[in-house]
Amino acid sequence: MAEVKVTTRTRRVAGSKRAAKPSIDTTRIAVVGIPASGKTTYFRFLSGHFGLNLPILYIPSRADNGTLPLFGDLENDVALEETTYETTDPTDPEGSLETTTRFYVNRPMEDRRKLWVELSAGREDQGILTKYPLPTKFNQFVEMKMRFRYGAPGGEAGSRPMELQTIDEAGGIISDYFTYDRLWLDTVEGEVSEKTCRVIPHFDSWRPDRRDLWRRGLTLLGRFVTGADAIILLLSPSLASLRDQAQQVNLARGVFRYVKSRNLPLVIAISKSDKLKEFYGEIEHAVRERTFLSTFDPVDFLLRRDGAGMGTILVAQEGRGLSMKEDVFLVSSAVSTGEGHPLFVGESGEEAPNAGAPTMGVPVMVNTTLPLARACERVLERRATKER
Amino acid sequence: MEGNGTRAAASPRERNVLLLDLSKSMLAPLPEPQNGHAEHQKIEVARTAVFRILQDAAASGTLFGLVTFTETVRVPVPLGEIRRENLPYIENLISMLAPSGRSAIWDAMAVGADLLRMGTDGVRGNLVLVTDGWDNASQRFDVRASSGTSLGAGRLDLGPYLLPANSRLTLRIIGIGNGAERDKGVDAGRMNQFLAQLTDRAQQLGLPPAFSFQEVTTGSALFAQMVHAFIDVGYEGDQAIEELHPEELARHAASAARALKEPQQHATVSRIQPGRMSTPPAAEAAYREAPEMEIDVVAAGPAGAPAYLKERYGPLGEVVEAYLSGQYDRALELLARSQAVLPPVTQLYWEARVQFARHAVVEAARALLQAWTEAERLPEASQVPILRRLAMLQARMQNDKETETLVKFIDNTEHGLAQSDPKTRERLMALFGKLMELRGTYQLTRLAGEGDLQDAALKHEAAVEEVFSLLQDARLDLSVGGPVIEGALDFIEICLAEMR
Repeated sequence: MAEVKVTTRTRRVAGSKRAAKPSIDTTRIAVVGIPASGKTTYFRFLSGHFGLNLPILYIPSRADNGTLPLFGDLENDVALEETTYETTDPTDPEGSLETTTRFYVNRPMEDRRKLWVELSAGREDQGILTKYPLPTKFNQFVEMKMRFRYGAPGGEAGSRPMELQTIDEAGGIISDYFTYDRLWLDTVEGEVSEKTCRVIPHFDSWRPDRRDLWRRGLTLLGRFVTGADAIILLLSPSLASLRDQAQQVNLARGVFRYVKSRNLPLVIAISKSDKLKEFYGEIEHAVRERTFLSTFDPVDFLLRRDGAGMGTILVAQEGRGLSMKEDVFLVSSAVSTGEGHPLFVGESGEEAPNAGAPTMGVPVMVNTTLPLARACERVLERRATKER
Repeated sequence: MEGNGTRAAASPRERNVLLLDLSKSMLAPLPEPQNGHAEHQKIEVARTAVFRILQDAAASGTLFGLVTFTETVRVPVPLGEIRRENLPYIENLISMLAPSGRSAIWDAMAVGADLLRMGTDGVRGNLVLVTDGWDNASQRFDVRASSGTSLGAGRLDLGPYLLPANSRLTLRIIGIGNGAERDKGVDAGRMNQFLAQLTDRAQQLGLPPAFSFQEVTTGSALFAQMVHAFIDVGYEGDQAIEELHPEELARHAASAARALKEPQQHATVSRIQPGRMSTPPAAEAAYREAPEMEIDVVAAGPAGAPAYLKERYGPLGEVVEAYLSGQYDRALELLARSQAVLPPVTQLYWEARVQFARHAVVEAARALLQAWTEAERLPEASQVPILRRLAMLQARMQNDKETETLVKFIDNTEHGLAQSDPKTRERLMALFGKLMELRGTYQLTRLAGEGDLQDAALKHEAAVEEVFSLLQDARLDLSVGGPVIEGALDFIEICLAEMR
């Protein structure tokens, strides 16, 4: 992103509540998904959109030319805030956590190519290039907040401040929390107990420090989603590992139970959709031929051709707080041509050549803003209904 | 060891007392007319069978007692739980039991009854008498030759002593040899008279008459009467649940889920009925006069058959041994010889298994079909695990890996939990049962038309949710249960995810 500022480094005792930044009437939308489901990429590319106005491709093509009432929060100046919670010493009896916050601000970078590297580097490179000290998995979580504004169509008060949030580097914790409803918290002060953590397979066999960190992560997540106004569920297609597939299905089923029990709006984003061959075909066609109007039918694709491997699960939810047509989206935050090469479009909007001298180009994003806009719309609809 | 009468609520089936004749005639050889079988002394055969019974009692946790008799009645093993660590000592003790003298059969039966006596609840349990002779030494008890005849001077009537009011006694008498001529075999006439008197008494008292007399004339028949078994051996490449890598476990579970999702391609699964997933506890099993069948799966190591097969399982052990060493024709030959003494389902199963190994597919299929029919006749306690073994063989014959994986996993789990708390075992098997039931709701989502699809999907998801809820409770309650339990729960969890 434009500029990264690493600012605070504080030491806090575990369990003490962090003072929330004052935000008036902010709507919080939680993004959840299994590990490597695309949460980080989704956040960073959306932030890129709000900070740098990265273009987004829509498939199927939108009749309104892609107009969405989403805006960067220019008043705030901060597009994305990432706070790393790190246990410096897992054996510390007080269980202290250190926090480091990075702010990604709304100023463009000179080299857009570098921007791509930062945004799309593989997990290994991320650690070296830009991100957190490795290993990230077992000793830290990252709370990500993206600030933006949403203006309800026809709304009288103009746009409203919104926050998109996730606990990054915690896909395993997110999966466990939603999968096992015995872990669910009912209040923002609640705490996941060691005893209920035993619902997680093999929990007792873990190292004590990992068990403790996991329990804290679950508590953090539980409190975080307890205060959420809506949830965006990221589902990753074409998972090679059967365990990952099972984890994702269990998470999805858990999220359905959760939103039903809390009466929360849910929007589903099938991330990395460029991995789905038919969908990629549409992207490629749209990039090569600027006049191409895609009529791709996502509902038909998902239900009848099982694009996300969710089969009857999605069918069962239809009409029960979820509409396949309006609440499920195929998205791709960083389209890849395969073999790790990003797909760029140049200034003219056509595919930038991959070989030869480095070309100015911006990464291709597909439908990335749609789930967010829909989540905002549903939250505000619900609020309006309550106010009436 | 637990003494007489200390378990007031125990069921008759959990309490077994064996009365073993150690009179001098037990040293005589027992004919084995079939070629290739060496003659054995009666006592040798009986000892081998007792070892096997003891091992089984140690494995199952049932109470067991041993009474031996010559003209003196002794109790070498008082009624109690046979602990595995005590087994070598008890076996050593039994190996030293040497026949001598005469037979005090009636006095021994009274002592056996005393071990099973539970105060006002009468005599409760199973009494098995193994004898080769006539009573010629009892001093305290006698049996009337016929109704109304007198007893020996100063002796008590064994019938009422053995069967007081409120009793729940089963009595099996295994008589060795034909006793038409005195001292050449069991006194069959007297035994049958006695059982008739006991039956009359049971009817008068309103008790179930559960008394039988079986005459055996060969060593194989004696062993088979004492040890009624279905044994199986694992297949090559079998891996224990706890040895599976998590990704491997996931692969197995996904494969097994296909067996549930595609019933047409995996018809064998329908033979494993979800409601009959677990072996019912002995106490709940309906009474049958036929002896309970022992079911065991023997692990075949890389070196081939376990060394003790013949000793533990008699003629069937020899068949299995030949099979494991690749001598299929010999295995079939031995099987044919043992036909009379083996339970039909065991004999047919092994015929199918050996024929399949010989690539005689038609013969194997025919034998297996008959085995299914025989299995349906078994008491439920034996039937459930045997059906699974038949299903596994059938799946293998049909190259149906998915069904084989599913059934094998369920079977391995139950086997792996043999020593654990029965409630835990039942709970896990019930979970497997619930998982199997999802076949029905899933199938409806495949068959439903456009309009009904959502309704079917909704029902299926609700059913999945119910099982998942039970699974979570099991995870919380059984978190320290060990690798077999965890493996089973992981398997079910992944199967659930696959049912979509």
